[in-house]
Amino acid sequence: MNGFRDGLSAVVQWLYDVTSVPILVYFVVINLSFLLLIITAGFQFRRYLRMRDASVDTLGGELALGVSVVMPAHNEEVGIVTSTTAMLSLRYPRHEVVVVDDGSTDNTFGVLREAFDLVQIPREVPMDLPVRAEILGVYVPRDGHTRLVVVRKANSGRSEAINAGVNVAVEPLIAFIDADSILEPDALLRVSKPFTDDPTRMVATGGTIRAVNGSRVVSGRLVRLAMPTQWVARIQVVEYLRAFLVGRTGWSRLGMLILISGAFGMFRRDVVVDAGGLDPDSIGEDFELVLRIHRRMMDEGRDYAVEFVPEPVCWTEVPSTLSVLARQRRRWHRGLWETLWAYRGMLFNRRYGRIGFLALPYYWVFELFAPLLEGFGIVVVVLGLALGMVNVPYALLFLVLAYGLAILVTLAAMSVEEWAFHRYNRWRDLLTTLAAAVLENIGYRQLTVWWRLGGWWASLRKKEQVWGVMTRAGFDEAAD
Amino acid sequence: MTGMKGHAVAMPDGARVLIADDDPDIRDLVEFKLTQSGYAVEAVADGLAAWESFQAERPALVILDVMMPGLSGIDVLRKIRDSEHGAVPVLLLSAKSRDSDVDTGFAVGADDYVIKPFSPRELLHRVNGMLARAR
Amino acid sequence: MTTRQLLLGIELLVLLACLVLALSVIWSKVTRLRRERRTAQSLAPVRGALIELAAGEPGGLRILRSARGKTADAIDEAAVALLAKVRGEPANQLVTVLEDHGALERAKAEVSHRSPVRRARAVQLLGLARVEDSTALISEALEDEASEVRASAAYAASYLADPWLAAPLLRSVGTGEGIPAGLAADALLEMGVEIAPVLRAAMRNPAPRTRMVAAHVAGVGTFVQALPELRELIAADPDVTVRVEAAEALGSIGQDSEVELLARHTRPDQPTDLRRACAEAMGRIGSPLAHDDLVHLLDADDPRLAEMAAESLVAIGPRGMATLDGRRDEPAAGTALVLAALRAGQR
Repeated sequence: MNGFRDGLSAVVQWLYDVTSVPILVYFVVINLSFLLLIITAGFQFRRYLRMRDASVDTLGGELALGVSVVMPAHNEEVGIVTSTTAMLSLRYPRHEVVVVDDGSTDNTFGVLREAFDLVQIPREVPMDLPVRAEILGVYVPRDGHTRLVVVRKANSGRSEAINAGVNVAVEPLIAFIDADSILEPDALLRVSKPFTDDPTRMVATGGTIRAVNGSRVVSGRLVRLAMPTQWVARIQVVEYLRAFLVGRTGWSRLGMLILISGAFGMFRRDVVVDAGGLDPDSIGEDFELVLRIHRRMMDEGRDYAVEFVPEPVCWTEVPSTLSVLARQRRRWHRGLWETLWAYRGMLFNRRYGRIGFLALPYYWVFELFAPLLEGFGIVVVVLGLALGMVNVPYALLFLVLAYGLAILVTLAAMSVEEWAFHRYNRWRDLLTTLAAAVLENIGYRQLTVWWRLGGWWASLRKKEQVWGVMTRAGFDEAAD
Repeated sequence: MTGMKGHAVAMPDGARVLIADDDPDIRDLVEFKLTQSGYAVEAVADGLAAWESFQAERPALVILDVMMPGLSGIDVLRKIRDSEHGAVPVLLLSAKSRDSDVDTGFAVGADDYVIKPFSPRELLHRVNGMLARAR
Repeated sequence: MTTRQLLLGIELLVLLACLVLALSVIWSKVTRLRRERRTAQSLAPVRGALIELAAGEPGGLRILRSARGKTADAIDEAAVALLAKVRGEPANQLVTVLEDHGALERAKAEVSHRSPVRRARAVQLLGLARVEDSTALISEALEDEASEVRASAAYAASYLADPWLAAPLLRSVGTGEGIPAGLAADALLEMGVEIAPVLRAAMRNPAPRTRMVAAHVAGVGTFVQALPELRELIAADPDVTVRVEAAEALGSIGQDSEVELLARHTRPDQPTDLRRACAEAMGRIGSPLAHDDLVHLLDADDPRLAEMAAESLVAIGPRGMATLDGRRDEPAAGTALVLAALRAGQR
């Protein structure tokens, strides 16, 4: 027993000596970078708000390009009609809704057919993007003017469903939206504005997503925003807030936006077609598509732009149980790894400019390797404390630097967010958010480290990705 | 009271009008204009309040701003049209832009459309006209 | 100093920076809210009169005009906002109030103010109040270094609707970061037919954004004079977006003479999006001259193109419908016929 203990101590001592400083360096750098990104995002917000005030509601207008809202759906019979109606009611001069029923085994199509009085049309769907699964039918409402198209296809996953939707879409812009997400009435106007402002260069935009758990939803619209009741969901609110500030707005300002989240992105249709659409075999989905678009644009030497709209426009239900959350985080990290690896050729390649030299390396070190380094640090500190070789001051230092600072970074993010958009009106909600920011670092974060590493490991072992079903807790739908 | 060119326009007789707009300026000036002309006006600030007020009060005419957070004017219009007393005349207010919302508005069943910046006097005439036709 | 101490020092600095950031943000929000409350308080006694004025009741006009100091400033701010909401006689009254307070003169001066926020507001005011001799100032503001000032200038231009601003607008769209193309298009469409020569010149501009906006405006405004330039764009512009825009413009203008050119660009050697745009444009023109070319497209490899050709055949009238009827077993023709029937309320 003593021998084992001595051996372990020696190992831990060596680990400690080698890594104690680098780990601290890592945390210093990552938190510093977050701070910089938040400040950058703050400037972006300020500019965005100034433009908004200056332009005095000039959304839409003459040059607004038509938008096809593509909504893949699988077994969504409960909410699909409300969702579709809400999408049709979005404020926009010219838009259509394309619902793709991805081989649902429930009554998704049935409720749609009844609600919209669908009739089949003999349309042959163009194969601008390759779709392996069979297209079973195309349907439109009998009234002849509701701009809805429902496509039935054999089940083959979200990516293929979206590709099929892109094929059917007729407008020059495509927005991808999940059937369980909620859009604000002005979402299309806001997220398409970069296209309207710069129609020849803009190729992709994304909108900010927030958690809808706990809020009141009526007719597919968010009418009263509130913090979720479960702490798991509350902490995710904080996460999303920080991630969108740090991971999207900040990068967008620096011209290096590579991640447009899966829940709400808008693309030029011809660019999506040209790039080949979503890769059905990739778990990285939209992230992978955005990288592919970047690479293609730079390969072609095209003058292009990708922009992020900082205003919250999309609301989605986040996992409220640990098991669903775990599955999600494993999948996300796996997707991140596989995509970054697939595009490793762009790293430090002069052709890919700032993305190759700054954005991608940053993602490698501070997103991909983050859980590894953090996990490492935790293990070393805990083991070291147990074995008496790490003194309490170091352990405290580690805690402060790794987590204490994270709380302050989150606080800074929250402040900027609150200043810009003040969505949460009640003091109670602000305090809850603060509490969640603290709690995040006591257990939640460590769990995500474990899950992310798990996803990565599963990918390295070439395990099959299981998507699973998220049983919805449902919104607080008012009966009316 | 006479309208344009000497046509007699019936006195509003306290008919109930509901206006929903998140902009307090618009709310207040429309409320003033219509009240001055004899209507009983209820002004609310968002779509949900509009829908709830509509169900409770059954106004004779509804004015909805298209751009409201939460339930937009179009959303409320759709709910009104789908409801039991859905035939009420509805006028939509929208911000300056060409054809924006107009097609959707009329497709969902709006009776009339006014684009900002608008003439308050013209709005009043339209309201009078819509109510006269509805009778 | 050991590495550890250095790291600790840096981290504490970052910590401090975060705190400072959070506090400054909170402070800025608090001051903003306080300022808004103070403005609302200054406005409170006269707000009723102002609202009534905006509603067309000029009873309180004298009080509003004679206000001074903080009250006048609050009134001015509210009046500018109201000018974007009401028009007609009430708008004119609001402008006289602003005039009496000296706000218009001040705005003309503030167009060169140090702060971009003030410049932007000044420009907006000049536009909303349609101040007559401010065209030159707006034109300068279109080249301002701050993007929100340029955007405000474009917005103001749409209110002023002075054709003289057409060339500066189109130039600004294509320069560097430029102005939002949508705002420029909106403003140009308010200006009337005399901007035709400017549009034509803009379609030869090296900046693709300028060419695109010009093409779009030419189409929506049905500028027949611009046809020669549109023809050039559709045939030879290096940017596909501009070519597609030109095709749409030809469809909007609706001249039979352009059918042949559009048909030529539906050939297989043309980009897919351009072929489709041309097929659609041929339908919008609605001329029977397009019949044979559209029929030819029914056999295209691209099913969407075939369907668009079929829809265009519906649009050109009975001859097109008859042809489609004969081919109603084909997906393209069949779909177009079904959709036409649904729109007509049958089935």
